[in-house]
Amino acid sequence: MADLTTAAETRAPRAAADRGFATTLIWAGSVLLGLVLLAVLAGPLLVRWGPEEIDAAAALAAPGGAHPLGTDVNGMDILSRVLHAGRLDLGVAVASVALAVVLGTLLGVVAGYRGGLVDDVLMRFLDVFQAFPAFILALAVAALLGGGAPELILVIALVNAPAYARLVRAEVRTVREMPFVEASRTSGSSGLGTLWRHVLPNSLTPVRVIAPLNCGWAMLTLAGLSFLGLGVTVPTAEWGAMISLGAADVVAGRWWTSVPPGLMLLVSVLGFSLLGEGLQERAGVRR
Amino acid sequence: MRIARFTARRLLQAVPVLLGVIVVTFVLVRVLPGDPIRTILGPNATEADAAAARARYGLDKPMGEQFLDYLGGLFTGDLGVSIQSGQAVLGEMAVRLGPTLELVVIAVTIATLLATVLGIWSARRAGRAGDHTLRVLALVGNSLPEFWLGLVLILVVYSWLGWVPAPSGRVDPDTNLSLITGADLLDAALTGNGPAFASAAGHLVLPVATMVIVIVAPLLRSVRASALEVLGSEAYQAAAAHGLPERTLLRGYLARAALVRLPALAALVFGFAMGSTVLVEYVFSWQGFGQWALRGLLFRDYPVVQASVVVIALCYTLIFLVADVVQAVLDPRVRI
Repeated sequence: MADLTTAAETRAPRAAADRGFATTLIWAGSVLLGLVLLAVLAGPLLVRWGPEEIDAAAALAAPGGAHPLGTDVNGMDILSRVLHAGRLDLGVAVASVALAVVLGTLLGVVAGYRGGLVDDVLMRFLDVFQAFPAFILALAVAALLGGGAPELILVIALVNAPAYARLVRAEVRTVREMPFVEASRTSGSSGLGTLWRHVLPNSLTPVRVIAPLNCGWAMLTLAGLSFLGLGVTVPTAEWGAMISLGAADVVAGRWWTSVPPGLMLLVSVLGFSLLGEGLQERAGVRR
Repeated sequence: MRIARFTARRLLQAVPVLLGVIVVTFVLVRVLPGDPIRTILGPNATEADAAAARARYGLDKPMGEQFLDYLGGLFTGDLGVSIQSGQAVLGEMAVRLGPTLELVVIAVTIATLLATVLGIWSARRAGRAGDHTLRVLALVGNSLPEFWLGLVLILVVYSWLGWVPAPSGRVDPDTNLSLITGADLLDAALTGNGPAFASAAGHLVLPVATMVIVIVAPLLRSVRASALEVLGSEAYQAAAAHGLPERTLLRGYLARAALVRLPALAALVFGFAMGSTVLVEYVFSWQGFGQWALRGLLFRDYPVVQASVVVIALCYTLIFLVADVVQAVLDPRVRI
């Protein structure tokens, strides 16, 4: 007992300091994401040019004048495209993570709650998908499925789902053995009722913490795929595709075609990362 | 003895996974839309031309038979012939692996060293300004799109400052570097070709910097976490309370404990780097394994896709296996 109390005492100040840091991270992340959201929702209303509108007389125009951030090689306005692209990038990222969470939770609950053969088969199946680095898997599936926003949501969700399945399965296996679950069962609740009301809500804590971090990863994956020409393609406004189009300009010293979309991407992903890190720190989840 | 049994068990576990990968890749690449034959024939090719080409690559046989042929080839080291180039896949791949491994190994090594030093430094200042700054910087590194970072580095260091050679290729062709392993730096050193060594090193700076910046972040976080665990442990606190010298604490207690976790981490990062390298190679026209596999995917070059996917899965699985074994050697608790 004695050493427990001393340990608690010595660790208390550090824990308090880090709780403050966690809150700061959560706030910083939320503010960044809020600003990005405001920019991509309200911003397009304020710019003169449409995202796919071509100003043929001003291809590769430097920033200033009619085009505050210049134009790309097709004569499309960078500012307008950067703002419009955010809707697509954020939308696809959030949708794909939501889908991954649902799919993964479903698989994880089935595997963890049923156990036995179902569990073994499901887990071995997931092993095959986890034998690849995540981005490589996304690349392969996207190349085979073809681009377009719905396909990309599916691709990113499929690549992420196994990790959620594992997380949820592990939690379910612990929660399943808890006294309150046994109580629910012995008091006559159906299996499904127990699962839905008691096991599931108590198995989702790690998912809640991981999901924001995962949204950032999903954005990077989407942009990476588009950058390689496997995702959304020009003329649709998307950050990765814009960076890809601007790649050739960089060698010539023209920064405005690729730097702005990359900065927006960085700020959005950073927002998710800060939020996720803060939540993780607060939940005390170790990585 | 125990280690040997542990290794054997882990190897056996890897076999079904790899078999699964082989089957899934083989079936998926054929079932999903896209036709490799159409991409090599011109727009004027007739249906008969296509059928003839299909027969030449054995694609007219039933899928089961194709699979058995392919599996038989795998066990004899024959990975088939690329539909795009008509060259043996194994030979093509051998030339491409060197440059990519060179890039990844250098980047992972630098990142690991950097992460160990910074991670321990950060953990010892946990909760203070230096630690917080470093953690936020790590998050920024974690959030950087590597392909964009590569372009920004090219913009600043090449276009504006002119400090490095143009981002195309791996070595200046004028240096007459003879190919041995495909890893240019190594080849130049082996042949004693000074100018080629300098040129290859110059070409490596930006891609390596890009990868290091991106992969040091997750490593740093993990080193910091394990160092924090040690700092909070009773053994360390007892040692510190006994007034052991700073050096002993740092080397004997902190660094060693952090290093035990390093194999598993390095494996994870290696896998992550394999994904990154596709993008980084594309940015710097590196002409390595990643770009080769990507082109195979885009043209539905079945033998190339199958070979590259299986090789990646094999590498990934083996790296984790090696990491587990090394960890089992270092930390007896794992073996149970």
